[in-house]
Amino acid sequence: MTFKFDKFLIRPLVCILVLTSVPSAQAGEAEFSADEIARIASHGPWPMPAKTDTGNRVSGNPAAIRLGYHLFFEPRLAANRRIACATCHQPGRGFQDGLATARGLRPGKRNTPGLFNVGQHRWFGWDGGHDNLWSASLRPILDPAEMGGDARRTVRLLRSQTELDCHYRQAFGKAPDARDEELLVNVAKAIAAWQETLVSPSTHFDALREALLRGDDDAVASHAPALRRGLRLFLGRGQCATCHAGPLFSNGEFGDIGVPFFVKPEGVDPGRQGGIKRLLANPYNLLGRHNDDATGDNATATRHLKPEHRNFGEFKVPSLRNLKYTAPYMHNGSLATLRDVVRHYSEIDEDRLHSDGERILKPLRLSEAESTDLIAFLESLSAREALLAPVVPPAVAACDVPLR
Amino acid sequence: MKSRRWRHGVWRGLMPLLLLGASSASALAACPPNEADGKLLTSGPLQLAWRPVLQGNTPVAPTAIPMAGHFALTVQLCEGSSASKAVLKKVDATMPEHRHGMNYQPRIGALGDGRFRVEGLMFHMSGRWRIEFEVRSGEDVLRLTNDVQIR
Ligand code: HEC
Ligand code: HEC
Repeated sequence: MTFKFDKFLIRPLVCILVLTSVPSAQAGEAEFSADEIARIASHGPWPMPAKTDTGNRVSGNPAAIRLGYHLFFEPRLAANRRIACATCHQPGRGFQDGLATARGLRPGKRNTPGLFNVGQHRWFGWDGGHDNLWSASLRPILDPAEMGGDARRTVRLLRSQTELDCHYRQAFGKAPDARDEELLVNVAKAIAAWQETLVSPSTHFDALREALLRGDDDAVASHAPALRRGLRLFLGRGQCATCHAGPLFSNGEFGDIGVPFFVKPEGVDPGRQGGIKRLLANPYNLLGRHNDDATGDNATATRHLKPEHRNFGEFKVPSLRNLKYTAPYMHNGSLATLRDVVRHYSEIDEDRLHSDGERILKPLRLSEAESTDLIAFLESLSAREALLAPVVPPAVAACDVPLR
Repeated sequence: MKSRRWRHGVWRGLMPLLLLGASSASALAACPPNEADGKLLTSGPLQLAWRPVLQGNTPVAPTAIPMAGHFALTVQLCEGSSASKAVLKKVDATMPEHRHGMNYQPRIGALGDGRFRVEGLMFHMSGRWRIEFEVRSGEDVLRLTNDVQIR
């Protein structure tokens, strides 16, 4: 009964209301209400103010950034000398690999996340198993399924090239030494320092946002109407911004949107529940002695973590910037295109969501036109031009020897 | 009245002192609470004033609690013009519409003279949040709640 009522009475009514309340297409700024504009404003400005990682004493250090850059592209860190960070995190793809699930020394279970703007995150990994960028960068080096590296191999590499050896000494004030238990942490901190410099370019959305805040109606109207309609849907009926909030379009926390978490051949990916366990067992978390922030102020999130039943099957809310480059989507790469993602939200299976979990997601039942609008908006969150190769950070003067 | 205002910058330094000799800090008692103590809630004779504090110890209005950012609270318990002997036992927050709470477990530090500091809260979504204070006063357990809108 309610279904019929809904379908035959409410829908046309809503349509009429919506149609009559939408101002003329050319109305520019007036198209968005003051409340909508305030909400749009919260998704900027872009770029975000740069952050220094107080837990990483070489954050922002030029020698470390140069060393980190070099090591990120260095396949000889891996046991088979053939897998670099950049094998999976490819610059031209927004630091993703285009695969559903990553392939390192062994096939992985999760989708490779892009690394743009990673310096702004609170949690790292789909399950937030890391609370800092350097321990998330150490994991792949050591993980036997990804690179399977170790300290001896790393030191051999650092010593084999004057440029690497020199930048390591400049950054850490000592020679690389395999007996130094800090060695791999230092290497990871250098790679982290470089990753902190990865900021994605500003987008159509950012330009639209600025035009709205300036009150520049002409500039607003120059953006495709589909994009603007999609934005309104994103903020309004879609309720997408509840989780995909702020300039990154992520609140940095975790959610369950009903993406199946079964892993072949059998088993499940426990998501955040496993992530919290992993995090607390990790000697490289911010409660440990490798945190360079003596005040411990940067460990608030870790110190106050509260495990909940609902964490089972929750995954990190991904940023929605640069989606154009980072397909396929979701923690298991199970959705190939943005159209698939929008269909997922449109037809979401409420039975798959935790009963004690979020009460936000309902099947949106979007029309074809609405889906297209929402996709147009999601596409507006990627760089306007093709991605450029990352800028090579300069060698520090003391190590300025020509690169081979 | 103004001179007893708390200097937030010295919290950290004062904390051990206060914990050691709560009574010696009585000069800091702030009862009845005034505007600077934040939002006032009452239950019978008990008055509870709470105020969000951001990183760097900046006190702000509840409407300025950041979305998805950690913050702390200062809480003052009073009965009339004297500090209450009641104890703040628990602080929690939920989103009634979403039926979920926070992802973080706040911790309460007693500073003496009815004053408490609660660390580690975070509202990770925009919308209505309900903060609940559980106060033990003698045999009684009182629950005081306050709604805040986060955007
Ligand atoms: C075999 C492919 C592969 C390699 C090689 C690899 N990664 Fe990753 N990376 C992944 C996958 C998959 C994840 C997600 C892991 C998870 O959720 O548990 C990830 C996650 C990350 C994250 C967390 C990002 C986020 O948004 O949460 C960082 C940072 C990272 N990798 C950096 C690196 C660095 C630095 C290296 C080299 C030292 C590296 N990765 C090597 C596949 C790879
Ligand atoms: C309850 C919080 C929540 C809401 C509301 C929400 N999302 Fe998501 N979103 C997530 C989470 C969590 C994931 C990752 C899920 C996974 O991998 O299992 C995700 C994944 C995505 C992805 C894939 C990104 C990638 O890099 O893999 C897109 C695109 C997306 N959401 C868009 C939207 C849109 C559009 C809406 C509104 C219709 C929306 N989301 C509403 C939490 C949410």
